[in-house]
This record gives sequence, C-alpha cells and structure tokens, in this order.
Amino acid sequence: MEGIFAIWQRDVTKFFRDRARLFGSFTMPILFLLIFGGGLSGTMEGLISGSIEGGGEFQYIQFVFPGIVAMTLLMTSVFSSLSIIEDRDFGYMKEILVSPVSRVNIAVGKMLGASTVACLQGMMMFLLIPFLGIRYSVLSLLQVLPFMFLLACALSSVGLLIASFLKSTQGFQLIVQILVMPMVFLSGALFPVNNMPGWMDIIVKINPVTYGVDVMKKVMIDIDSLSPMIREAMGLNLTLFGRSITVAEEVLFMLVFTTVLVLLATLSFRRSNA
Amino acid sequence: MDNIIEVRQLNKHYKDTHAVKDVNFDIKQGEIFGFLGPNGAGKSTTINMICTMLAPSSGSIMINGYDVSRQKNKVRESIGIIFQENTLDEKLTAGENLMLHCKFYNVPKEKRQERIQEVLEIVDLVESKKKKVETFSGGMKRRLEIARGLLHYPKVLFLDEPTVGLDPQTRAHIWEYILRLKRKEGITMFLTTHYLDEAEISDRIAIMDHGEIITIDSPAQLKKQLGGDIIELSTKNNEQALEEMHRNISDAEITQQDNMIQLKVADSDDFISGFIKELTVPITHLNIRRPTLNDVFLAFTGRNIQHGDH
Repeated sequence: MEGIFAIWQRDVTKFFRDRARLFGSFTMPILFLLIFGGGLSGTMEGLISGSIEGGGEFQYIQFVFPGIVAMTLLMTSVFSSLSIIEDRDFGYMKEILVSPVSRVNIAVGKMLGASTVACLQGMMMFLLIPFLGIRYSVLSLLQVLPFMFLLACALSSVGLLIASFLKSTQGFQLIVQILVMPMVFLSGALFPVNNMPGWMDIIVKINPVTYGVDVMKKVMIDIDSLSPMIREAMGLNLTLFGRSITVAEEVLFMLVFTTVLVLLATLSFRRSNA
Repeated sequence: MDNIIEVRQLNKHYKDTHAVKDVNFDIKQGEIFGFLGPNGAGKSTTINMICTMLAPSSGSIMINGYDVSRQKNKVRESIGIIFQENTLDEKLTAGENLMLHCKFYNVPKEKRQERIQEVLEIVDLVESKKKKVETFSGGMKRRLEIARGLLHYPKVLFLDEPTVGLDPQTRAHIWEYILRLKRKEGITMFLTTHYLDEAEISDRIAIMDHGEIITIDSPAQLKKQLGGDIIELSTKNNEQALEEMHRNISDAEITQQDNMIQLKVADSDDFISGFIKELTVPITHLNIRRPTLNDVFLAFTGRNIQHGDH
C-alpha cells in the first residue's frame, strides 16, 4: 500500500515544484471563461430571458463555470497521467517496475497522483469566482470537492490507459485533439446537450465528463430556485434511458468507469513488462 | 558456500532469433561475478530475465532461494539494480530519491533515516542530501544510484556498466566504493562492463557470445588458459626475423600484427635469453607482458570488446 502513497507523493511534490506548469495550465480555462463567460453569455442570456418567463435573472456564467472547472480537471488529469510516458523516457519507470510494488498499485498510485494534481488545479479556479461577478456558497464549494476528485479519477484513468499504450509523447497532440476536445464539447460542460442527434447522444452518455459536470452543477448551482423551463433549457435534467439520473447513479458510474480503466491499464503494464 | 543465483537451461526466443541458448551458471554468495560479451551477445536479455524484467521462454532462475518466474516480488526484494542509464528523478533531491526507494521496498519506517544516512556515507554524498539531482555531476549521480541500490540491503547487486560515460578518475572512485561495499557488506555482485581492466576485480568471469556462455572461470585461470606470457617485438627487418623464428622456435605461437610480432610462450623468463641470442636481426622494440583479459576476450570471441559497439 505504501507504494501507492510513494508514487502519489512523488507526482504531487513535483507539481508544486513546477511553477511554469502551475500557471501555464491556467491559460486555457481562462480563455474559455472569457469566450463563454464574456462573449457568449449575452447571447445565451438574451435567448433565455426572451423565450422563458422569469428568465431575466439567469446568469449563463454561473451555468458554465462548473463546466470550465470540469474542463480544467479533464485537461490536467489526462496530461498528468501522460507523465508516465515521461517516466519511461527518463528511465524512472524502470526503478518503479523492478521494485516489489505491484503493477496494480503502480497504476492506482499514478491515477491518484494525477487526480490530486487535477483537483488542485480545479480548486485554484475557485480563486477566479470573485472576479466573475457570480456567487456560490462556500458550503457548496466544499461539497463539490469529493465529486471533482471522483471525476478527476475517472479522467486520469483514461489518461493512464492511453499512456500505457503510447510509446512516446509524440502521439500526445493527437490524443488531445481526438479525445480531449470532444470530451469537453459533448459533456454539457459548456452548452446544453439536450437535443443531440442519436449517435452523438450515445457519446454524451458514455462520456464520464457528462456525469461529473452534471453532479458539479447540481451541487454548485441552486437548481431549485430556477424555473423548470430554465432547467430544461440549460440541460440540467440529465436523463438516461428515459428517466432522470440521480447523483448516486452518477457517482456509481464514475467509480465503475475508473475501476475498469485502471484494471485495463494494469493489464497493459503487465504485458509490456518494461 | 551456498549459491545465491542458480540459472538452469535458460532460453529466450524471439520471433526469428534465439537470443539466449541453454545458459547455465551458479553464483556463490559474496562473490563478484563478471558477465562479459560483445554487444548483441545476449547479455542484456539474460540480465533482464534474471531481474524479473523479461519472461524466459524456458528454463529456471533461482535467486536467494526464490523462483524468478513465480515469486517475482520476493526476488525483487532480494536484488538491487544499478542500470546503465540514469534512473533517478532529477527534479527531486538526493534524499527524496532515497526516501521513495525506501517506500517502494518497504524498508521499516523507523530505519529509513538511518539507512539513508548510512548509504550516503558509503558513497560520500552526505553533504548533497538536500540538493536536487539535476545539479549533480555524472559521477555523483552514479554514486547516488549505487547508494539507492543498497538501501533495502539486497542480497545481490546488479551493476550494468556502472562506469560507462565517466572520466577515468571518477571510474576509479566508483570501483573503490564498490570494493569497499564488498568488504564491508559481503554483498554478491553481478557485474557487466566494457572496460575489461575493470572486470579484473571479479572473482569469476563468464564470457557470453552468440547467446551462449563460452567460458566461466576466475580471471587468473582464464589468462592461464591462454598459455603463459606474451612477447611483443619489432625489429629492423620483420620478415627476416619471422623467417628465423619459424625456423628456430618450436615452443611459441607466433603471430604478426601491423609492425609488431607477437609470441605466446609458456614462460618468458626461460624463453627470452636464448631467443635474443639466436635472433640475428636487431630488435628495435621489446615488450613482455602477462596476458590481459583483453587477450582472453579476443581469444574466446575473436573480437575486441570495444568493436562494433555503441
């Protein structure tokens, strides 16, 4: 068990040492906040207040902020898991692999390390809240943390599985383009995904980000105070097989998803054996 | 003495190559075992199989009484490995690298600081404990890796080219540390190196070529097998000298390399006085030496160890 802790500790320690990465990873979410929060909010709010009664008080940025935090989690989780390729390139992976730490513990340690780093990044996004003119209760921000961590775990395990297959960091950019971006756009993080074509809806429903973002919104946004029509319009009533999905089910989905992917990554490590 | 490593009928097949063929050897507790061979001889494949990094196609390996294919974790706890390439985390300090290793290897919590101190003293790095590894010189990194390999008190230490890429002075220092270790801790060492003069410290040497172990013996015995001493000379007229030698000498093996005539004789002391008297051609250069491991290596593999390398 201590092997898991050691691997986790190493990645977290290195995160705090690497200031460039710390701040560099902020640029993308801030860009998105500007575009979606500043640029798109006028349009979205206009649409809503024009078509829905009582929609005048709707703040799009309040809807999109949890999504952008989730996007930060996604980016950081996937990229941090890919550090396993770096470890391989710089030889450190050998030191880990010849030690008595079991393969599954290596995978879990790496996954937890990446998730922690992602969560720390996500929490740093909270510092922007006062500047956005929105308010969340402190309690809701604390309550959302475990769910953020769970989502980060699911996403890190995606990164881990990819990293266990990739031979070099060259495939990196490609992964980001074909995987990370669609995962953001087809999750409801930035805009509602209610009325998608069937095939797209399938992607939405197997995308772990969908459930993570949904839980985060349910916790952070005071949904009950919104009119049912706004909830409907903003996609805050996620359904699966025709019925509304509960937080417990979403948590379960992310847990199962994480477990399966970590096990697959472990198998892949065991096979490569180097 | 007990065998700490026993390798039996070890084989490794790849798609179209038979990289390791029926390899057998034993290593005794506390000995330094040199493992030599030209590149591509199957050395790395063999070592990787012994270190649990690669599954053998057939055969068995026992280390410290544990089966390498079935008791991987027990084997991993019993061995320390100094890889050819740097496997330190350069962003962390020396102390942090060592502490991580303690955790990977389940070194008891209360003993960790003490052991870290102890291994740092062995390699003279106590003062650099808090410095980041990226600020270290090549020699310091190597020493730190050796220290790290010792932290969990392994029964066998594998040293894969421990001095490659280091300057001669640092190389000498590294060997000092290694010998100090052998004296103090009695650790068994499994060593590969390209510098044959460094392999001299081995108690026994195995030479591997084309996937097979060609010979295993002590350095002294190996050299003795080559037969006595080597006399190298050049003369004013090598052709005439050679002709005379072939006519008069029966108890030496005569070869010519470039401008140098080489004679292998059983005992140079007996041989040389008569030889010089009989030779009519003036000698311009004369050198008498014992065979080195280079001569041994050349005789067994037909190649110089440095050739076709890197």
